[in-house]
Order: sequence, then C-alpha cells, then structure tokens
Amino acid sequence: MKLGVFVSDYTLVNDTLDRVGPDGLILVANGVYHATIKGSALLGKYSKLYVLSEDLATRGIEASAVDSKVKVVDYSGLVDVVFNDFEKIAWL
Amino acid sequence: MGKLTIGCFPGLVGNWSYDFALKFAGAAKDKGHDVDLWFSGNASASIVAGQKHLKDYSTGEKYLAELIEKGVKICTCEACSIARGVKKDASVKGVQWNAMHWYLASIHGADRVLQIGGE
Repeated sequence: MKLGVFVSDYTLVNDTLDRVGPDGLILVANGVYHATIKGSALLGKYSKLYVLSEDLATRGIEASAVDSKVKVVDYSGLVDVVFNDFEKIAWL
Repeated sequence: MGKLTIGCFPGLVGNWSYDFALKFAGAAKDKGHDVDLWFSGNASASIVAGQKHLKDYSTGEKYLAELIEKGVKICTCEACSIARGVKKDASVKGVQWNAMHWYLASIHGADRVLQIGGE
C-alpha cells in the first residue's frame, strides 16, 4: 500500500510520520514551510515530496525557495498525485 | 476516472482545511472524478443560504453552489447542523442532509478518501 500523508502544519511531525511510515508527503497550508528548509531531515526521508503552489504563494514564498527534492504542484496536479502516486492518503 | 470522498471536519469555519477541502473537491471534479464532500462538525454551519460572498473567504453560498453545479455531492451531518441552529429550509439548495451512514457509504465506494480535521 502506497501511503501519502498531507502535512498541514509546521510542527515537529517526525515522530508521527515515523510511526505511520508514509511513502511520500504532500505539504499544504503551513506545512509548506517544511519545503523551504533545504537539507532538512524530514525531506531526506521520502522520495515523493509535493508542495501546493497556492499555499506557497499565499505565504509569499517563491518556488525558487523550495528544496529541489520537492515538486511544486497546483490543485489540478495534486488531484493527479492523489490518484496516481498513492493508494491511501491521510491528513496531519 | 475515480471517486474521491472528502470528509471535512474543521475546527472553525473559514479555516484552511475547509478552504482546502472545497478547492480540492472542485479540482478533482474538473478532472472528471466523482466527488463526495461530507461536512461534519463546524463545517455543517457553512451551509446557511444567503451568506455574503467575501473575497478570499471560502465560506458562503457562492462556492458551495458552484461545486453543486459542477456535480459535487455535498452532504451535511444533520445532527451537527441542527445543533448549530441551521434550518433545513434555510440551507444552500442542493446540499443533502443525512447522518454519518451517508459518509460511511460514500467511503465504501470511493477510490480515495481524505478525512481532514476532526479536532
């Protein structure tokens, strides 16, 4: 089962994610700040990483500030991620 | 094409998870998927008809009416709505009223389920 987890807050979610064991992360709302910490341990754990472009823009973050491991997607792209990249999804 | 069921259980109406649920539902419908949207908790208070549309504020009749027009099925938790003083005859046209079994049945037939909130 390929599990994708939406991370919607900028809190320390490492312990929870370690227990859940997702295959990838989708960063939304305040969770988008995780995408801007280049070289972070969180980003290093997962091969599939996405961040919602609208939530970056809302916070004044340019796509160029996002770590190269994270793919920037819009809502339409996010729909494809949910249906094509993961079999189950969860929200943190 | 698949079916997406979103359970929206926001802490407060107008918060980001509610906003996300509406936009994600619309995007999925635009891509040809079937979409069910279940409102529980404080989301159930968002279905009052006649709410003024405010720019950059995702509650209000405009957004719900647009989703319903696209074919998104929206159902509110009847008990949650009644508990918040919402009258069925004063709710947005097209919003269904039902109990948790509607959500469970929708989940059963969905290819993807996203439950947001629940705090």
